[in-house]
Parts: sequence; C-alpha cells; structure tokens
Amino acid sequence: MSQMETQTTTGETEEQIRDEWLEYDFEGESALSVEDLDVFYGNDQALQSISMDVPEKSVTALIGPSGCGKSTFLRCLNRMNDRIDAARVEGTVEFDGENIYDDDVNLVELRKRIGMVFQSPNPFPKSIRENISYGPRKHGDIDTGLVARLLGRDDRDEEEELVERCLRGAALWDEVHDRLDDNALGLSGGQQQRLCIARALAVSPDVLLMDEPASALDPIATSKIEDLVEELAEEYTVVIVTHNMQQAARISDQTAVFLTGGELVEYGDTDQIFENPQSQRVEDYITGKFG
Amino acid sequence: MSESGGANHDRANIVTETSGVDRLAGVPAVFGAVAFVVGWAIVFRWVHVTDVLAGVTYATLLSAGHVLAAVVLCAVGVLSTTGVVDTDPDDSTGLFTALAFGAIAFVGVGLTASQTFDTGAGVWLPASVVALVLVTVAVLSVPEDLGVTLPVAAFELVVGLAVLTDVIGPSWTWSPHGFSASFVGPIAIAAFAMVGSLLCVWAGTNASQGFGSRGRELGAYSLISTYAAALLAILVLLIVFVVQNGIDQVLKGAQLWPFKLPFVLNGYGLQYDVNGIFPAIVGTVWLVVGAVVFAVPLAVGAAVYLTEYADQGRFTRIVETATNGLWSTPSIVYGLFAFAFLLPRIQNNVTLLTGQLVLGFMLLPLVLITSREALQNVPDEYRDASAALGVTQWQTIRSVVLPAAIPGVLTGVILGVGRIAGETAPILLVLVREPFSASAPSVIGSFHFTASAPFVTNEALLSPATALPYQLFAVITAGVGASQEFGWGTALVLLCVVMFFYAIGITTRIYFRRKLRQ
Amino acid sequence: MSGASTTQAISRSFGELDWPARIAGLVGALSLIAAFAAFIVEPGAVVFPALVFVAVALYGWFAHQAETARSLTFLATASTLVILGVITVYLFVKAVPILRQMGASLLTSAVWDVHGGRYGLVTMMWGTLVTTIIATLVSAPLGVAGAVFISEIAPKSVREAVKPAIELLAGIPSIVYGYIGFVVINSYMMDLFRLPTNGSLFIVGLVIGVMALPTVVSVSEDALNAVPNAMKDGSVALGSTDWQTTKSVSVPAAISGISAAVILGVGRALGETMAATVILANVTQLPEPLYDVFGNTITLTSAIASQYGVAAGRPTQLSALFAAGVVLFVVVLALSVVSQTIERRMQQTLGGDQ
Repeated sequence: MSQMETQTTTGETEEQIRDEWLEYDFEGESALSVEDLDVFYGNDQALQSISMDVPEKSVTALIGPSGCGKSTFLRCLNRMNDRIDAARVEGTVEFDGENIYDDDVNLVELRKRIGMVFQSPNPFPKSIRENISYGPRKHGDIDTGLVARLLGRDDRDEEEELVERCLRGAALWDEVHDRLDDNALGLSGGQQQRLCIARALAVSPDVLLMDEPASALDPIATSKIEDLVEELAEEYTVVIVTHNMQQAARISDQTAVFLTGGELVEYGDTDQIFENPQSQRVEDYITGKFG
Repeated sequence: MSESGGANHDRANIVTETSGVDRLAGVPAVFGAVAFVVGWAIVFRWVHVTDVLAGVTYATLLSAGHVLAAVVLCAVGVLSTTGVVDTDPDDSTGLFTALAFGAIAFVGVGLTASQTFDTGAGVWLPASVVALVLVTVAVLSVPEDLGVTLPVAAFELVVGLAVLTDVIGPSWTWSPHGFSASFVGPIAIAAFAMVGSLLCVWAGTNASQGFGSRGRELGAYSLISTYAAALLAILVLLIVFVVQNGIDQVLKGAQLWPFKLPFVLNGYGLQYDVNGIFPAIVGTVWLVVGAVVFAVPLAVGAAVYLTEYADQGRFTRIVETATNGLWSTPSIVYGLFAFAFLLPRIQNNVTLLTGQLVLGFMLLPLVLITSREALQNVPDEYRDASAALGVTQWQTIRSVVLPAAIPGVLTGVILGVGRIAGETAPILLVLVREPFSASAPSVIGSFHFTASAPFVTNEALLSPATALPYQLFAVITAGVGASQEFGWGTALVLLCVVMFFYAIGITTRIYFRRKLRQ
Repeated sequence: MSGASTTQAISRSFGELDWPARIAGLVGALSLIAAFAAFIVEPGAVVFPALVFVAVALYGWFAHQAETARSLTFLATASTLVILGVITVYLFVKAVPILRQMGASLLTSAVWDVHGGRYGLVTMMWGTLVTTIIATLVSAPLGVAGAVFISEIAPKSVREAVKPAIELLAGIPSIVYGYIGFVVINSYMMDLFRLPTNGSLFIVGLVIGVMALPTVVSVSEDALNAVPNAMKDGSVALGSTDWQTTKSVSVPAAISGISAAVILGVGRALGETMAATVILANVTQLPEPLYDVFGNTITLTSAIASQYGVAAGRPTQLSALFAAGVVLFVVVLALSVVSQTIERRMQQTLGGDQ
C-alpha cells in the first residue's frame, strides 16, 4: 500500500500511526465500534477497511475533502446505505453488543436508537406538530386516531408534552410555539433543520448521526445549530460529518480525518488532530495545502 | 436540556429472535399463492372445478386448503397471544383493516339473509349493519395478533365448509333479483379462492414477521406484489391472446422465398386468393403522415413560442389550459367536429384529407405538451452561454435550444403517432366509404397541376380511404358476413403497428433521459 | 403576459421594423385572416389568401428571419386556441336545433323516439355514468396500487422493466380491446353468467377500466416518483418501515398527482367510444331496474358512433347526437381543468421544499 512510504511528521509510517489510534483511548464507554468496514458502490470501493470506536455522550467529527467517503461512513452506522441498491457493505459495526449488519437485526429498532439528521433539511409536508410526533406515532407510542379517542386512549397530552420537550431540546420552541399547526415547509431553512433535529429527538435515540447539518444554512443559523450540537452531547452520542474544519474544531471532542479514496487517516482528540497531527497528509489538509 | 431522553429508557434489543412462528405462518401464505393462481385458472377455464387432481376434485382441494389455512391461522394467533411464541403485536389492529373485515361481514350476512333466507330489505339491511359493526368492534378490541388471524380464519372456515358440504357446489346457481346475470358454482368457488387467497397471503406474511409494523409492511407488500404480478400477467396474456388468434390469418399463404405475405400485401376482392388488408395499412400510413405534416410544425412552433418568447403568465396559462383541454377531449368529439366543420368544406364527402386533418388536430396537443417539456428541460445555462456570446435570441433558439430538444420532441411525436394510428372514433364519420377495398390509395402518383385555382389537385387525398382500426370495426359491424379470423388478423397487424411506434418512442425516451442524467 | 403588455410588446417590436417589413407583416396577418374566413365561408377560395400568406412568410424568412420566426411561432400558439374555439362553436351550433326543440327535457327525458322525433339524453348519460363508475372502481384503486408497487416496492431491476412495459400497454388501441370484448368476453359472460343479451354495462365498465389502468399506473407512478428521496429517507431514519413511509409520507405528498391521474383515468373512461360501441347492443332504453349493471343500454359515445349513419338523413337526430357530444365535451373539459388545478397545487406543495 502506498501509505506505507508516506512521510509523517513524527517519522513513523502511517501504519504505525494507525496502530496507535486503534488503541486510541478516550474516557468513557464506546457507543459504536466499527471494525474493518469496507463499502463498495458497484465495483468502486468507497471506504477502505475503516476501524474506529465512537465514545458515548460526546461529539465526534468526521472531516475530509469531498468524495472521501465520510458521509458514506455515516450512513453505514444506521444502515441507511441499505437503501442504495448498488451499495455493498463488509465488516462489522458493533452497537449495544450486537453487530448491526447481522441478518436478524431489526432495522426499525436500530434506526429508532441511532437517529439521523440530513444535509439539507427534509421536514415532511405536514404541520410542525405532526413532524415531531411522526416517529412516536409510527412506533405506536402516541395514538390520537379516531379509534383511540373512542376507546379513551387518546394520547394528546403526551403529544403536547413531547412536542414541547423536543422543540425545546432543539432550541426551536420559542420561535414556533404559537404556530405548531402550520406547515413545516413554511419555516426558514435553519428552523427546518432544527425541526428535523427535534423530530429525531422525539424517538429518544442513543446516537444522533448528522450529515453536514449546517451546510445549507446561513452563518447565524449555523451557529445556532453548532450551539445545539454541543448541548446535545450531554445526553446523546453525536457523530457529525462536516467539511468545515473550524466547525469541527469548535464543537467536537474527537475528530476523524478521512482522505480521498475512502481511508481513515487519523483519529484522535480534536485538539491533538488540529494542533499536532501525526500524518503529513493530515497536516497538509488541515493547513489548507490541499482538499 | 430536557430531563428525559437519552439512554435512560427501557430499550428494546435491536436484534429480533426468530420465533418459529414464521414457518407456521408460511402455510396459509403458500396456500394463498397457489389458490390465487388456481382461482384465475378456473376463471380462464383452463381447469374446471370438477377436474380431478390426484383423485380429488379441484373444488374439494381448494376447500380443504381453506380449512387448513383457517386452522393454522387460528393456531398462530393463539400461540402468539398466549406468548408461546415471541411476537411483537400492537395493542389493536388498525381501523382500516377492521372496517375491511366489517365490510366482508356486511356482504356475507347481507347476501345470506337476502338470498338464502329470502328476507326483504327490512330484515337483511339491519342484519348486515349489525354484522358490520360487531365485526369491526370485535377486531378493534383484541390485540393485533388475534385481529389479523382470527377474522381471516373465520372467513376461510366458512367458505371452506360451504364448498366441502356442497352448500355452494359446482352445480349451485344463484340469480339475484333485479340483475340479468346468474352466478354459478365454479365462479363462486373461484371467487372464494381469490378473495381467500389474498387474505391468507396478507395474514400469513404479516404473522411471519411477528405482527407489528414490520408484519404490516410485509403483509401489505406481499398483497400489492401479488396484485401487481396478476395485473402484468393479465395484460401480457391479452397480447399473447391476440397474437395466438391472429397469427394463423396473418401467415396464411405466406412463404419466405419468393417472399409472400398475402394477408398483409393483398387487397380485398375476388381477384385475390387470400383477402388482405394492404389498402388499410397504406391508408393508416397516409393518415399518420398527413397528421404529422399538419400538426408537428404547429405544435413545435407553439412550444417554442410558449417556452422561449412568451412571458410566463396569464397568456401561457390560458394556452396550457386549452392544450390540456384539447388533449383530454374524447376522440369521438373530434370526429363529430370534423363531420360538422371539415366534411362540408372538403369535397362535401368523406376523404383521406379530412381524416388526416382530424388526426392532426388530435396529435397537436400531444406533441405540443411533450415538446414543451423537452424545451423546458434544456438547461438555461445553454441559453445564457449563447446570449453571453452576443448571439441573438432566434439564433440561440435555432442553433442551441432546438437541437438539444429534438430527442424529446421526437419521442413525443412517435408516442403521439402510436396513439392516433390506433384511433377509430375520429375517422369513423369522415374517412371511409368502403372498408374492404381492393386497392390502396396512391397519394404520390395523383398530384396534378392545373392552370386555374387551386393549381394543385390530388385525387387520392380527396377520395375516401380505409384504415386498420376502421377495418377491425367494420369486421364487427359486418356481423355474420365477415370472418372472425380476418378480424383477429387485422387486430394483430394493428397491434404490431401501434406497439412498434410505442416501443421505439419509449426506448428513445429512456435512452435520452438516462443521457440527460449523466 | 397580460393583454396590455402583449399589445405593447407587439407595437414596440413593430416600431423597430423598417417599412417593407411593416407592410409585409400587415399583409401576412390580413391574408391569414382572409384564408381562415374563406375556409369558413367559401372553402374553394381559400387558396388565394393562403398563397399570399406563404409568399409573405417566405419573404419574411429571408429578409427578417428572427421577427418572422417569432410571428410564426406566435401564430402556431394562437392556432391551438382557435382550434379549441372552433370545436366548441361548431359542436354547440349543431346542438342548438335539438335544444330549441326539446328545451330542458333534452337533459331530463329518457325518450329516444326516432319516429316521433323526440330525443332525451338521460339513457345515454346513465349508461356513461354507470360504465365510468365501474371503470373507475377498477382502475383507480388497482392503478394506484400498481404505482405504489413500481415506485416503492419493486427492486430497481424489476422497476426498470415493468415501467416501460406498462407504458407500452397503454398503447393498445381501444378497438382491439373492443374486439376482444365483442368476440370473447361477450360470449363468455353469456355462457358463464347466463346473460340474456350480448353485452352489458358491466363488461364495458370492466374493459374500459382495464384499458385505463396502464395510464393511471403510469401517471400516478410519476407523481410518487417526484416525491424527493430525502423526504422518504427522513422517515426511514426515524425507524419507520418503508410501508409506513409510503402511507404517511410518499402518498400524502403525491396525493394531488395521484388524484390527477385518477381524474385522467375517469376522463378516458368517459370518452371511450369503440369498446362501448362494439360491446353494447346500443339499445336506447334504460336498464330495468336501473341498477342492473348486467343490463344492456347505450352510452353517450356509443350513441354517436352507432347512430351517425342512420341519422344522416334526419337533422334532428343528428343534432341530438351533437348534443351528446356537447355533454361529453363539457364534462371532460371540466375534469381537465380540475385536474390541472390540483396538479398546480401539487407543484406548489413540493416546490415549497427548498
């Protein structure tokens, strides 16, 4: 492999660095642990043998130039790649003591526990309230239908409580609490994205995957999302993809650097990655020499 | 941050244990799939209910299957609800499902009460309504695993026993009051098989996933997939049927060398050993050519004006509404219009030209809509790039926009031609005097130039002609005189012509759409 | 473009031209109007103004190509409006005599008395109504289910084969369906369902429903396909199943397109002529009792197609057939406008997703 000969800042080979961060020791438990993950689109390999552990209740940033496979990697973590016909995944992702790529994994349960926020806001063309309660309704936790009302099992109060809790959690409550029945498509882009975060919170996930959640937003909306992400990390494990290095440096606890060709080149504490990267290529990328 | 949320909930494991109930629930699902096919086979009369398979009649086999499915479904429901097997049912079955079962009960009780016990509407109507309400409420008030399995099991048991005990046997008939039709045993047994099989497929696959949202998903998917397969099979059978019936007639007297295909290449008359439809084919060709010559320039011109010149506003909306209106106008209305407007003005008689014009009127909106779509799909960057080079608008349209839109326009024209080539109604009133004609119109050879107005005449254009779809209609109206084989042959040739245009049109569209996406 | 600004634009571009071009434009416009008028009044004379128009157009093409192209495309656009106008006028004009004779009873009477010269359209309207309802009951639910299958359930390879196949089937000419209905289904029904006569509203509705199916499938599939994948992904990422996503996200988001497809199918069923004409016996009597769908009667379309021949010598009967055409035309136009309004709303709903 070519990276064997690549120069590094400490004079080690990349292989040695890799071995080091494979033992990268963070404080706390790991929420997700990925081992030897390969992804192919048809004959193209999008990810090459990725291994990393994601610590729980912290923010892990995935950075790298476009096309480096960081979004693909993120979509592997809750098996959203299953929805792309040509994608093929090898390797294991361990979550809650199980490999999520086992045959008998219940995708409904998996995705309930590992939520996702997408690059561009994708609220449903329904009211704000219905957007929030969508997940719990589908899982049978909230029922406000005709039959439930007739049988006296109406969950309206729970729904109200849930909507308020999630909107507060996504720092959106103050802006929309007086128009919960308006169509969500009428919100601004930043509000829509926070609504999508609130919607993901409503199913009480353990892990929240965010795919460049601020890339389609203006600076003010972006800073709101960034504050929110830091806050969320107190309760949730957040894995966030971004191409904005300042953003990664500001909000993340750990950073993983992907480079072109779908390899994970370096992974460690955010401070260490940005101040003292071990790989020459990572340093070049971070200092803006390429990428 | 909120006080709850996060990882302090009671968590379901992400792995679902296989419970073994899936094997058991596969029994009704498989029976359903088989019974569905057998039901159709009975309707198509490929098998008869009294035919014997392995010593038992199909009627008995089917009803035994119904009873077996009922027993298994019952067992699955009970095993699930008592917790012997591990499933994930919701508290209650959905309202829609409950109402569907209620509706089945409504129909069943209503038919039994009104027909078997011959009661009036004063009795059977309340009885059916009571059945509907009872079943709906019952289904709603039990957990999902029972709500899915037991109603289906009940239906299967009733129809299975009804046939087994010969209450509704092969010789049973039923003539409902007020309807001209009678229903006979084989049809009823086939109908039971089909309805029952769909229910079994649904309930079986639903149960095999342990109910819950994933069970409902698989249930719905297998139901819709079964239906989609049936739809495709029927539509394909339709084509196969026409080919099967028509191929002999088309190939009558045919030989490869020297090439002879008399049905396609002969006219209709005493001088031919095999009567053929050549004049009709030529007539259809000329109709299509005339319609294209008339409509395509107009349609493309209008599409260019609407997309490139006109401001998007009230005017374009009015034209759009008019175009869509023209597009959905019934073909017979075009025929009436041509009869009232064109016919008196062109020779005051049925002519090929009138037929061409009326088909052109029909083609116009079709081509206009697709051309407009094609023009709109040309990226604005092309126009901007051209305009930035100082090229005038018309030159941009001519050298950049139109060439880029040609594939889309062409596709529209081909699909439109396919449609008008098969139309009968518009030319019904204005084209034909003698459907079974001996010779084809020779349009190219009949141009004559004259010194006085109108300077150019064409005898063939101003004479009656015939066309493939009309010929088929004529076979039907001629009744006893015309042979059915002749009709099937004509139908096959017409189908080939139209399908040919459609196949080319759809293929080019797929090709260019794919190219556009790359 | 509002009327005022159109006029302004025309006068502005007119002002930019030199004198020969202005004269040519004027002559061209006048000759075209003259040709149209001549065709209406005296078809034999149409050739002279038409030749003048062709000459002017040729001159314009070589002297002022851009302006000529613009004018010609505008004329093409106007021609669609003219055609719709002429169709409307001639249908109505031809229907006026019977309306004058029968008055409102044209639409309320079921009498079709050729010898007495009294015509009411109720029988035909009833036949059309019943067949359209049956056809819609067949094509709407099954068509939407088929669209859901292609767009949401089928794997990619199946989808790519089935979608074009369905479009291909939409092209089977109606007379072929009619022929199958006439030769095969009619005798099958008489044989198995013991129908007393050849043909029934039920068979016609069934055949038309199957005929409209591919169109409904194809158009609703387009609507479902237009729902952004991001929206579906959002639902799946919340842990809902694909089926829940289809039911709660895709179908509601595409509902306007789906209803437009169903309306289109209804329009097709209403206007379907040949299948009804050849399958039915076209007796001008209401079924007895009214709800006997296995009865034999006539529809608006099949009345026109089966009686135009005998009506040629009877102006009132012909006028009554035109009245049937007017009823069809008006209903179908109304349906078309409704479906366009719905579709426009759909574009607004999904267009808001930006």
